[in-house]
Amino acid sequence: MANRTIPRLLQTPAVLLLLFWMLVPLSMTLFFSFIRYVLNSLRRPEWTTPSIENWRGFGNYQFVWNQDSFWLAIQNSLLIVCSILFLTVSLGVLIAVLINRTFPGRGIVRVLLISPFFVMPAVNAVLWINMILDPVLGLQGIAVNGINDFIDGMRTAPVLGGFFSLWPEFEPISFRATQTSAYAVIMMVTWQWTPFAVLIFMTSLQSEDQQQKEAAILDGAGAWNQFRFLTLPHLARPIAIVVMIQAIFHLSLYAEIEIVSRGNGNKNLPYYIGELVNNNIGAASATGIFAVILANIVAIFLLRMIGKTLME
Amino acid sequence: MAIVAQHTKFSKIAWPVLAWVVALIFFFPIAYMVLTSFKTDADAVKPEFLFSFTPTLENYANMTDNYDYWRFARNSVITSVFATIFTLVVAIPCSYAMAFNPSRGTKDILMWMLSTKMLPAAAVLYPMIFMTKAAGLYDTHFLIVMVLSLINLPIAIWMLFTYFKDIPKDIIEAGQMDGLNTWGEVREILIPLAWGGIASTALLVFIFCWNEAYWTVRLTTTEAATLSKLIEGNRAPEGLFFGRLSAVSTAAVGPIVVLGWFCQKQLVQGLTFGAVK
Repeated sequence: MANRTIPRLLQTPAVLLLLFWMLVPLSMTLFFSFIRYVLNSLRRPEWTTPSIENWRGFGNYQFVWNQDSFWLAIQNSLLIVCSILFLTVSLGVLIAVLINRTFPGRGIVRVLLISPFFVMPAVNAVLWINMILDPVLGLQGIAVNGINDFIDGMRTAPVLGGFFSLWPEFEPISFRATQTSAYAVIMMVTWQWTPFAVLIFMTSLQSEDQQQKEAAILDGAGAWNQFRFLTLPHLARPIAIVVMIQAIFHLSLYAEIEIVSRGNGNKNLPYYIGELVNNNIGAASATGIFAVILANIVAIFLLRMIGKTLME
Repeated sequence: MAIVAQHTKFSKIAWPVLAWVVALIFFFPIAYMVLTSFKTDADAVKPEFLFSFTPTLENYANMTDNYDYWRFARNSVITSVFATIFTLVVAIPCSYAMAFNPSRGTKDILMWMLSTKMLPAAAVLYPMIFMTKAAGLYDTHFLIVMVLSLINLPIAIWMLFTYFKDIPKDIIEAGQMDGLNTWGEVREILIPLAWGGIASTALLVFIFCWNEAYWTVRLTTTEAATLSKLIEGNRAPEGLFFGRLSAVSTAAVGPIVVLGWFCQKQLVQGLTFGAVK
């Protein structure tokens, strides 16, 4: 294996392609973030072409930093990402433990459970916001109506009528409003990504030390203690990996936000950038650099963890 | 595999039942979508026809008239297939070299490749629009194929690397003794031995390409618009078209969900970059 030329040659196309992908657009973003650059300006037509003469220094960063909508977008991004992480990990652990046993139809249960993960995000969002969460025509509206009708009917019932007449009329929730659409997004993404967490935790549970477990049972450890002191520590690493991979994916959530909350105030960082791109390229680029910094903070931890297992 | 817990009669019945209930809840939205796709648009919004209705195939028959479905589907197929092929053509030699002739830098290169995956797409949105419009590539199949390949290349290289790493080096060395050149090694030894790994990498990359919804939406208008773009464009049917929308959605996700069933295991390896086994 003295000849190193061939291996290098084989790696070159991939390295060059990714180098291009990483460096060229990002350096342009970096450049645009330091100049005044807008797509339409009647007053200052010279700003509509990218040029070093329109140098603005950190002006775009300052501009973005002082925008309330930027902070709202960050806040929203974090709310969405953190809620999804919490929900998918806790549901994922519970479900993985639940199906980590032999029972009739386990294969089918697995197939049913994993399916949401393969639904394309656009379909996921359209399906949830219209057919499930719509306050009138969706299942939510139908269910709320049904409950109201049921209560109405019971008000006149003999003994229980008094109890039911105390109940209020329920109002369906509109998930297209600014205040609620983040929750719709959280719901649909949780539905899609819980299967991913389940799958990973299940894979990991199968390598759990059974002898240790049997010893624990012989020592009289209850189900809770087994879970708390054996299973959970065993899952620590997969949990960390699920958290970080999802953080990276969900920080750049786009299709769901676009579909659920177009036209309202519930924006996350990528959506906010997408809006700025319609005109203010300088500000969009500065926001983009902020997004890169945010993603890098997460990525550094992830790379460290994966680096440890590499080459084992 | 199975928990060796104290199997009481209760736990033998209750836990499996609960597992089934959870699985059915998770599958319900998909089932509801498929069900609705067989209703007329008028029936689809009537609560009395929630589960009992006269099934019709008209939504599927009218997919072309209603949404021009097949044009978008064709674009999805073209871009996903070619992106998958191109990704593999670039990734296989690279992972092969990394797995069998690792140098001191290999680990760093792998980590760096992974880090490109973490670049938020939105940050480079405008430069991509700017460059592709300047080069006349905006809204072309070629562009979408390239972008899909680039975003999936790190995952493909990682997956293939973890598969190739498990092939014993002796076999390759034996091949070299027999006078095989590099291409011969790949053809005669690597591809036959790692066939399963290559196939599942291809499957997973294909699924990711098919479901991609950022670049395919932002870098296309009509010519190269994929199914993601089609669905995204019909985000608010106001209840009028639940039936037909369900049909087109079912047609868009059906094949991929079925493909996905076959590569659950690979998914774990591919998405965790081999860190969970």
